[in-house]
Amino acid sequence: MMTKKKVFVDTSLCTGCKACSVACKAWNDLEAEKTQLITSYQSQASTTYNTWTYISMHEKYENGKMEWLMFKHQCYHCAEPSCLKACPVQAIYKTESGYTLIDHEKCIGCGYCVANCPWSVPKTNPELKKTFKCTGCIDRVENGIKPACVYTCQPGALHFGEPAEIEALAQTRLAEVKKDHPKAQLYGDNAMGGTTYLYLLLEDPEFYGLPVNPTVSSSLVVWKDWVQPYGIWLIPLAAAAAVGSFFTTRIINNANKSKGGDLHA
Amino acid sequence: MLKERVLRFSGSARFAHWGHTITFLVLLFTGLTLFTPALGRVLTPLFGSHVTASSIHKVMAVFFTIIPLIALVINFKGFVEWWKDVFSFGANDIKFLMVFPLEFFGFHVEIPPQSKFNGGEKMNSVVTTTSCVLLALSGYVMWFKDAFPAGLVQWCYPIHGICMILATCMVCMHAYLGSFHPGSGESFWGMWKGTVRSDWAAHHHAKWYNEVTKS
Ligand code: HEM
Ligand code: HEM
Repeated sequence: MMTKKKVFVDTSLCTGCKACSVACKAWNDLEAEKTQLITSYQSQASTTYNTWTYISMHEKYENGKMEWLMFKHQCYHCAEPSCLKACPVQAIYKTESGYTLIDHEKCIGCGYCVANCPWSVPKTNPELKKTFKCTGCIDRVENGIKPACVYTCQPGALHFGEPAEIEALAQTRLAEVKKDHPKAQLYGDNAMGGTTYLYLLLEDPEFYGLPVNPTVSSSLVVWKDWVQPYGIWLIPLAAAAAVGSFFTTRIINNANKSKGGDLHA
Repeated sequence: MLKERVLRFSGSARFAHWGHTITFLVLLFTGLTLFTPALGRVLTPLFGSHVTASSIHKVMAVFFTIIPLIALVINFKGFVEWWKDVFSFGANDIKFLMVFPLEFFGFHVEIPPQSKFNGGEKMNSVVTTTSCVLLALSGYVMWFKDAFPAGLVQWCYPIHGICMILATCMVCMHAYLGSFHPGSGESFWGMWKGTVRSDWAAHHHAKWYNEVTKS
């Protein structure tokens, strides 16, 4: 069986060429979409059900100089995913390789995962009524090939491998990059039980519009751990009280009748 | 004794009540298909598939919203009278609620004279209406989630669930009290035909009965 895998996204090397997006579409057979410029050269505002990975471009100005900071978006394949917890039909599952996948036989496109993903990665196709997101190229990985985005990345910003190897590489790169970018940091380890995609950022997560330390939200805990498993039992309790009263009222009335007392009507 | 009757609910109130009841129950059962996987396995076959259940839920939601609004427009006066009475919550209502559990199970208790709605019906009015309004608001946010901030959408899921449970618990007791309960069952005819037996009204809603028979 597959062991856990990790992907390292070294944003310091990303040139924003978008080849990962194209390779992803080619491998996963995803239709092209009409895009428009969001900011500068960024052509995609968010993931869609046909675009599972894209690059956002962030302009940083310092001492009159501009620098591009890139960020690759796709499913993070969290260890404890909110989408999995939110799914009402148990269509989302984890693989041994650490990937988070949607079973499209079971998926009903309700959008609960869309609303509860801290990065709103999954997206529902309203016609098919199915929700789609990055599969981590599970079909390639399980056959010993790197994910399409990693395989295609020219500047070497993407690395795929065993967790220990990937983490060591990330630490080495972090130390190197820190010299020029004091705010550089790793992103993903603390998010949602640890993500499969580990990032090297050149700025704080907020700079990229990312949640700093996403965890399972309290609304999801209230909903899935309290209201659904326990709260629901109040309904049969109320119904049982009504059924109980149906009998006790009649028994008490009968007892009064035989005593010749007044009836309650 | 003559079986005289007295008018209790207008046509628009009855239309709103039963229209709301039907849509509420359909919303409840279609909604529960998504509530837990176990409920889903039991209830989904009733509607064919999750996708159909969810479409029915959304169509019913629209009727659930407009039915009370129609009644509100047709009979605004009746609506105001209802809420005036509900909020005139006084000592007699508190006494009612204190002895009601005994009354509910059939014990004979002394109850002080009640207005048109007794203490329990006033509570029911407030709790059920509040939960239904919150169900509708949270429901529309979940339906059109792209138009709202993510944090709000996420809280609407537990809110929808909590209000569903509250309202359904109330409805379980309420539907029974308004039909098969030996004491208050007569009120069913007030909601069905519009009128109730005068002697029942005098006994259960003395304050109200005296007011309507005086004029
Ligand atoms: C205007 C009124 C309402 C609207 C717009 C509305 C809308 C929604 C929406 C959009 C969902 C998400 C699932 C889906 O997309 O199919 C949902 C779920 C649900 N609704 Fe409603 N709803 C309304 C009223 C009600 C009422 C009155 C009840 C029950 C008494 C109810 C019970 C439920 C339940 C149990 C769920 C599943 C929630 C979960 O999975 O935790 N809804 N509703
Ligand atoms: C099969 C089910 C139901 C039956 C037999 C039923 C019966 C009744 C009756 C007889 C009344 C008049 C009580 C009176 O004389 O004051 C009433 C009032 C009312 N009903 Fe229902 N009802 C049912 C379902 C519902 C549902 C589903 C809702 C809301 C979601 C609802 C909300 C109300 C409210 C707010 C009132 C006014 C307050 C009160 O009298 O408690 N009912 N119902």
